[in-house]
Amino acid sequence: MGSPLPIEVRGLLRTFGDLTAVDGIDLIVEAGEVFGFLGPNGAGKSTTVRMLTTLLQPTAGIAKVAGYDVVADANKVRQSIGVALQDAAIDPLMTGTELLHLQAVLHGIKRRSVADRSAEMLERVGLTDAGDRRVGTYSGGMRRRLDLALSLIHRPTVLFLDEPTTGLDPTSRQAVWEEVRALNNDGTTVFLTTQYLEEADELAGRVAIIDGGKIVRDGTPGQLKRAVGAPTLRVDVDAAQVEIARAALTAFGDERPAKVNRVAIGLEDGAPVMTEVLRSLDAAGVVVHHLELDEPSLDDVFAEATGRRLEGASDAVADSPAR
Amino acid sequence: MTAIASGPVLGGLLRRSVLRLRRMPSVLVPALVMPLFFLVSYSGSFDGLTNVEGYGTDNIVNWMVAWSLMMAASFSGSGASGVIGTDIDTGFLDRLLMAPSDRWVVLAGPLLYSMVRAAISTTLVLIAAALLGADFPGGVLGLLSTYVGCAGMALAIGCLGSWVMLVMRDVQAQALVQLMIFGGTFLSIGQVPVDFMTGWLKVVARYNPVTFVLRLIRQGFLGPVAWDTTWPGLVALAGMTVLFGGLALRTLYRYES
Amino acid sequence: MTAVAAPDVGARDPAGPALAFRQTLSLSRRAVISTLRKPAAFVPGLFFPLLMAAVYSSQFDRVTATPGFPEVDSFLQFILPATILQGVAFGSTIGGVEMAQDIESGFFDRLTSAPVARPAIFLSRVAGSAAFAAVEALILIGVLTAFGARVSAGFGGVAAIVVISVFLAVALGGFGLAIAIRSGNAEVVQGIFPAIFALLFVSTAFFPPSLMKGWFRVIAEANPVSTVIDAMRHLVIVGWSTAEFGKAIAVLVAISAVSLSLAYSQYRHRVKA
Ligand SMILES: Nc1ncnc2c1ncn2[C@@H]1O[C@H](COP(=O)(O)OP(=O)(O)OP(=O)(O)O)[C@@H](O)[C@H]1O
Ligand SMILES: [Mg+2]
Repeated sequence: MGSPLPIEVRGLLRTFGDLTAVDGIDLIVEAGEVFGFLGPNGAGKSTTVRMLTTLLQPTAGIAKVAGYDVVADANKVRQSIGVALQDAAIDPLMTGTELLHLQAVLHGIKRRSVADRSAEMLERVGLTDAGDRRVGTYSGGMRRRLDLALSLIHRPTVLFLDEPTTGLDPTSRQAVWEEVRALNNDGTTVFLTTQYLEEADELAGRVAIIDGGKIVRDGTPGQLKRAVGAPTLRVDVDAAQVEIARAALTAFGDERPAKVNRVAIGLEDGAPVMTEVLRSLDAAGVVVHHLELDEPSLDDVFAEATGRRLEGASDAVADSPAR
Repeated sequence: MTAIASGPVLGGLLRRSVLRLRRMPSVLVPALVMPLFFLVSYSGSFDGLTNVEGYGTDNIVNWMVAWSLMMAASFSGSGASGVIGTDIDTGFLDRLLMAPSDRWVVLAGPLLYSMVRAAISTTLVLIAAALLGADFPGGVLGLLSTYVGCAGMALAIGCLGSWVMLVMRDVQAQALVQLMIFGGTFLSIGQVPVDFMTGWLKVVARYNPVTFVLRLIRQGFLGPVAWDTTWPGLVALAGMTVLFGGLALRTLYRYES
Repeated sequence: MTAVAAPDVGARDPAGPALAFRQTLSLSRRAVISTLRKPAAFVPGLFFPLLMAAVYSSQFDRVTATPGFPEVDSFLQFILPATILQGVAFGSTIGGVEMAQDIESGFFDRLTSAPVARPAIFLSRVAGSAAFAAVEALILIGVLTAFGARVSAGFGGVAAIVVISVFLAVALGGFGLAIAIRSGNAEVVQGIFPAIFALLFVSTAFFPPSLMKGWFRVIAEANPVSTVIDAMRHLVIVGWSTAEFGKAIAVLVAISAVSLSLAYSQYRHRVKA
């Protein structure tokens, strides 16, 4: 039927003086997807979102959202998108209802439907009781939810969420996730940036990893994990034995980044060779404190792509007691 | 009781403050701009006041300069609270309080510093007044009472400001100190003699300690120095210093509780 | 079925002047609401001029009897225009400060990522400041009248003073907006406060020019603020004068033209980014 792609980006580039924040990226997001945009601090996520939401002009390249060019047809783009930016910027002196009314007018919603629409949105994010309170009295989670309601009031087809759960407690994070899933089920395309691999894994059908302004990987989480290949073997040893262990282990596969006093490798032949690995460690006199074999995670994809681990992400499940 | 002598510590603290001044003389500017601006604009604008019977001088600069000096001295005083406020903010005060020296030293350093600043700003305002054509019949004694009045005012305001800082524990409280300075100098004989005033202001200005200090600072510009205009100013300064200094010390000695 | 299509088009008003007007109105309302809900930001700006009026009228009443002083009921009546001018001038920075805060907090981004007519966001700030200035002027006139200051030109005079206040707030506020939009930093905007202060003090606001020192009088009378003050003072102590009123408005319109075009060009630059 030739319906336009929700997001189509070619060679998008943005510089700030000497700094290239976004370095010529290409992206396609299909209708009905939840697209995860993953990257560490300063990778260029927000800069990309700001360009796609018409807040920032690209230095070069083309970006189309809902079929409209973000520069030439900015106003058309604005009509089609909902935006919740990184820091939920809400005037603390206004009440939730007042802000929703204002937002409705800004989107040109007809006078007679403004009140109904606002009430519906408050209901949707569970803020009906707090609607007449000033936003200054809201908790962080409530602000986020109001932020979401504000970005949804005109029923956008494409929703941009810039780090929607950063700084939220696990319960509030779950609530936001639920809402994103519900929206996606209703047919809304979601472009979501995050620093949490877990979040991308949980929500996104497809992810792109951005680092230093460049997209270094992109595909479904499954594809990306498979591409990393071999499962990761991690072995914890005494500091004094790290070198010996490394010598013994790298015979079985390439080394991967790991924290101190730990050696990690991509175990080429998988679980069947574990007996051999243990024998060779034993022969070298290595005392093993802890050992695990892990199927690749998005984290591994990230590490493999960038050579670094994400801040806040652990290099093994065993290292992260329940958050 | 004292583990180490206070003298060297005091010297060190004073040196630290003065070093700040030497490295960043620009801190003097905002505290001088306002007094100088008021000296010029009030002298220019309110010249007609001298036409009124009983104003006390026929040269408006002679009257307004005292107010300007007073304001400059007060801002120098609030420099002391600025030092203490910053020390509270950066945690340096905690370090000082943990040191095995007498606590009053912590206050005395910045206070001495504010008096040094007052001496500098007084000299600069006096030069400006001379350029504007002020008279000075008071001679050496007059000059002495001007400097003593200004240094004393810096000390008193320094005590007040330090007390406010120690209570509020926030550099932002500096705004409150400025407000107090402004209120105190505004509701006094800064612009006109008490006899000119009517209503509540007359009462407030008559008993405002700042009024007595202003007379002390101003006397050299109006005529020869007289004991009648000297001792009330000295008493007012001593009173304010003892009161605010005592409160500041009390707060300092109970800082941890 | 296309997944990406403009949703519920029927529920929206088409873009156009009518919608732009509605949006400007809503945004202006919000500007006034958030100003009024933050009394700590504007109460000092009202209190301080009133305190000054009280102190000066207590100190300077005797001067009104000396030769060369204009015919007035009291010094309070003489200083009424200065009080209003001061209050409105102090208040005129609030619009800029709030704009800067919006930019700092990202609320500005929320507004500009919506399909709002671009001028609406800017104009609503100006309109909000204008409305606020009218409120301030009425409060100040109300208080001073209660203490016995009389506006000789009557209700027409009061209305004219309010109109002048509105234009003043726009003229001065424009500079605050320009700095706010350029810097996006509320503290920088507050930095123009001393300039406004100086502008008022070196004018004929607080004393008749005939009683000033010669050199000061020359500077004060060259200050455009003095034209505005003289017009207001004529309305207060003499009576209605279309010519004086017209002169004040003309000066303020000229200043507004400069300050607003400065601010608007900064605004255009920022929303393009
Ligand atoms: N307005 C600006 N002026 C100058 N540099 C900027 C500006 N905005 C972003 N940058 C720089 O561009 C780079 C990318 O920033 P961006 O905000 O897009 O990162 P991010 O991926 O969103 O990071 P975070 O996870 O911290 O939000 C950073 O180095 C940042 O300092
Ligand atoms: Mg970001």
